[in-house]
Amino acid sequence: MNSPTCAATESVAVLATGLGKSYRRGIEVVHALREVSFEIRSGEFVAIVGASGSGKTTLLNLLGCMDTPSTGNLQLGGLDVSRLSEAGRTQLRRDRLGFVFQHFGLVPTLTVAENVALPTFFARRPDPDRVRSLLERMGLAGRRNHRPHELSGGEMQRVAIARALVNRPLMLLADEPTGNLDSHTGESILNLFRELHAEGLTLVVVTHNPALATAAQRLLTLREGCIVNERSGDPPGTGQVGPL
Amino acid sequence: MNLTWLTLALNEGRRRPLRTLITVSGIAVAVAALASLLAFQRGYQSGLGSELDRLGAHVLVVPKGCPFDAASIALHGASWPCYLRASYLDEVRAIPGVATAAPALMAAFPKADGMQTVLVGVTSELLALKPGWRIRGSFPGDSNEILPGSEAARVRGWNVGDTVRIDELTGPRRVSGVIESTGGSDDTFVFLPLTAAQRDLRHEASLTHILVRLRDPARLDEAVSLLRGCNAGMDMNIVPLTHLFRTIQGMVGSTSLWLTCVALVALLAAAAGVGNAVLMAVAERTREIGVLRALGASPGDVFRLIWIETLLQGLAGGVLGLLLAGMASRGVESWLRNRLPFAPDDALVRLEPAVAMLCLVGALLLGSIAGFLPAWRAARLTPREALRAPSGT
Repeated sequence: MNSPTCAATESVAVLATGLGKSYRRGIEVVHALREVSFEIRSGEFVAIVGASGSGKTTLLNLLGCMDTPSTGNLQLGGLDVSRLSEAGRTQLRRDRLGFVFQHFGLVPTLTVAENVALPTFFARRPDPDRVRSLLERMGLAGRRNHRPHELSGGEMQRVAIARALVNRPLMLLADEPTGNLDSHTGESILNLFRELHAEGLTLVVVTHNPALATAAQRLLTLREGCIVNERSGDPPGTGQVGPL
Repeated sequence: MNLTWLTLALNEGRRRPLRTLITVSGIAVAVAALASLLAFQRGYQSGLGSELDRLGAHVLVVPKGCPFDAASIALHGASWPCYLRASYLDEVRAIPGVATAAPALMAAFPKADGMQTVLVGVTSELLALKPGWRIRGSFPGDSNEILPGSEAARVRGWNVGDTVRIDELTGPRRVSGVIESTGGSDDTFVFLPLTAAQRDLRHEASLTHILVRLRDPARLDEAVSLLRGCNAGMDMNIVPLTHLFRTIQGMVGSTSLWLTCVALVALLAAAAGVGNAVLMAVAERTREIGVLRALGASPGDVFRLIWIETLLQGLAGGVLGLLLAGMASRGVESWLRNRLPFAPDDALVRLEPAVAMLCLVGALLLGSIAGFLPAWRAARLTPREALRAPSGT
């Protein structure tokens, strides 16, 4: 098993070179991602935008080690993850990456606190203090024993964000985090992301939300599996918010 | 808040409580059927053994007729349709290998309240066959004395030394002693000297049966063949009790074996039900499994989670099934007692810890087999595949 250990190049969170992904659908080969190359620096806030089917989610899956590239090379924090074993990818997801999903992905039978604690359970590193402090920060301390169906959409997404942060990841990956929320609630999630970015966390967000895309430092626009536009913004970590 | 594999698996039961209940009930019914059958087999076997021990005889000599009926009458008490001549007793005693031959004349008199008085005329030779008897008082030495079993004395309010009247006997009788509880039919019998019974029941020089104890039970076949070959052999039915009980056990055993097979098939069907229910649950939770994988759950973690869930269903079904079997045991006992060709006095359905443990282990084993395929399929899902699945919940 290749163990995901962080080597040098700490300032580069993601280095993708000729990254491609193809699927076979019957006799047809679908090129979801066509040899894209880019770099994301540590602490950067990057938004990936594009039409449906442009390859956004495929790219996010590759960055999240939930899929393996068909071509090219991908380094996360200096570690080549392109040919990492399943166990190595699992360990990397667990210890270095945080995920936020459009549909929140909360386990309905568990309480808020249990949902947040899940990654620590799988890591065999229970940390009730960390769970408690994250719930307080997300304004969910009073909801810790509630189940997801008792929460609003915004609260559910905040639980999902707390869960993504509980193992102190180096990078947070979010797939349409405001896609299921009204504009007001989406705004509060956007502010939360701004805070996390200001604290130095690397954020990669797939979104259709213009406000969220605008808030990002850098915008990668995908079309038919290719990066067709790349817009740079502010330097990373410019906010003044306390540490997580 | 303290997450464990157990709490995670237990919480899953809440997601679809009705489906969980139906699945668990399927296992419970199958386990209850299996436990009842195994408990019956144990109880019946042990009951027949105890009955044989209590009787203290190796061979029963009865008038010609059905040996099963004869054994049942001698053991449980009833009126006999025909009699042996008392003179046969000497021929039986003369057979080499016979240690004791205890003659008996039995008659049963039903009462209006549904009870019956079973009178048994015996000699003191019976004591050699009943080493387990504990008599408060003494064995009747006089023709006007009686020896009731503990239950017979209790229901009639008799005590040692009392002078009592029995409708079927002429004149008053003195209770010379009371047999302490044996757990068998002897408790309900009233024993009296053979001569007095023959006189009062108007069957002088007659016997209903002779209980024979051998010096060496291993030479039973030889003794039986000598008994059948004696002069009176043509008029007597020689019933080797061990063989008889073995035959009864074989008859009942083959039926219960067939029923056990049915229960095992039911258990397999229940396991298929569990497997199907868990497969459905896994299909519905595919996206959630993807989320768990994204959060760092390994394929082994997913396998363990699903497998523990099915194990818990098996365990719950097993425990519930044993409770059901325990609660139904009385009804099953009474139902069986009315249908068996020969039922010992002891409990027919004995749900012993070993049987309970066997059923529980069986249910767990089945749960584990049923859970293997769904757990394996869930563990094989890649996070990407799982997250692309439509939401089922």
